[in-house]
Amino acid sequence: MDKPFTDKLESADVAKMPAEYQTLLKRVLAIQADCEIGGPHLYVRSILPAAPTKVDRLIVARTAAEEADHYRKVARLAGEVGEDVSPLLSRPNRERYVNAFRGLIASWEEFAVFGFLIDRVGRYQLEEFIGCTYAPLERLLPDVIVEELGHIDYGHTKTAEFAAKGGSAKERIQSVIDAWYPKALDMFGNTSSRRSERYRHWGLKRRTNSQAREEYMREVDPLIRAMGLTVPDPNVGRQFV
Amino acid sequence: MNTHALDEHLKEMVLALHAAVNRAMPHVNDDPALVDQALRDCQEILEVVLEGNVAEWLGDPDGSPA
Repeated sequence: MDKPFTDKLESADVAKMPAEYQTLLKRVLAIQADCEIGGPHLYVRSILPAAPTKVDRLIVARTAAEEADHYRKVARLAGEVGEDVSPLLSRPNRERYVNAFRGLIASWEEFAVFGFLIDRVGRYQLEEFIGCTYAPLERLLPDVIVEELGHIDYGHTKTAEFAAKGGSAKERIQSVIDAWYPKALDMFGNTSSRRSERYRHWGLKRRTNSQAREEYMREVDPLIRAMGLTVPDPNVGRQFV
Repeated sequence: MNTHALDEHLKEMVLALHAAVNRAMPHVNDDPALVDQALRDCQEILEVVLEGNVAEWLGDPDGSPA
C-alpha cells in the first residue's frame, strides 16, 4: 500500500500531479457540481409555484439560489483544473451521476424529506473534503455547509410537522421517507469501492463509503424515530451496498 | 469555456434571486403584489439558470462558448 498523500495543493500544482490524482479530482468536482445543480432541477418547476404558502415559495426560491451558487463555486474550481462542467447546468435529470437526482419531486412532502434526508447526505459529502489535499476545495466549505445546514433544518422541521399531524398526513410522510431513505443510503456508494480507497489515498476524501453511511444512519435514524415514524429497513430498495 | 465569465454571470443571477427574495420576505403579509412579482422574478431567473444556455449568456449567438 502506497503512503497516503497529504500535501496541500493549489490549482497551479495539479498539472504536476500523477494522472490518477487529476482524474479523481476532476471527477469529484464534476459529481459535486452535478449534485448541486441537480437539486433545483428536481423541484423548481414543480414545487416553486405550488408550495403551500408564499413564505414557503420564497424559501424554495432561496434554497434553489443557494444551490445554484454552490454549483457556481464548484464549477469555478473545476474550470481552474481544466474540467468544463457547464453542460451539467442543463443536463436531463435521467443522466445525473447520482440516482437520487434522476427523478422529479412532485409533492411538498417530498420536498420536505429531500431536505431532511438528501441534503443531509450532501452535508456528509462536503464534510469529506474537510482537511483534503486540494486547498481551494476546502476553502469553499464553510459557507456552503452553513447553507446546507439551513436546508436540512427546514426539511427536518417540515417533515416533523407532517408527522405530528398524524392520520393520513403521517402515513404520507412515512411513505415518502420509505421511498427516499434507500436513495439516501445509496448515495454513499458501494462498500467495497476501490475508487473510494483511491480517493482516500490521495487525500480527497476522509472516510470509507461504509463509514460515512453508518455515521449518517446513526444521526438520522434517531431523528426519524423521534418524529414517531418508522426507520425503513436499510437493506430494502438498495442498489449499492 | 471561459470559467471566469461564467462565474461572473452566474453570480449576478444568484444575487438577483437573493435580492428578489429579500425584497419580498418582509412584505408577505402586507404587500401581496410585491411578493407575487418577486416570485415571478425568481421563477423567471431560475428558468434561465436551469436552461443553462451558456453560449448565449457569454455572448456567442452562434452557439460555441466564448
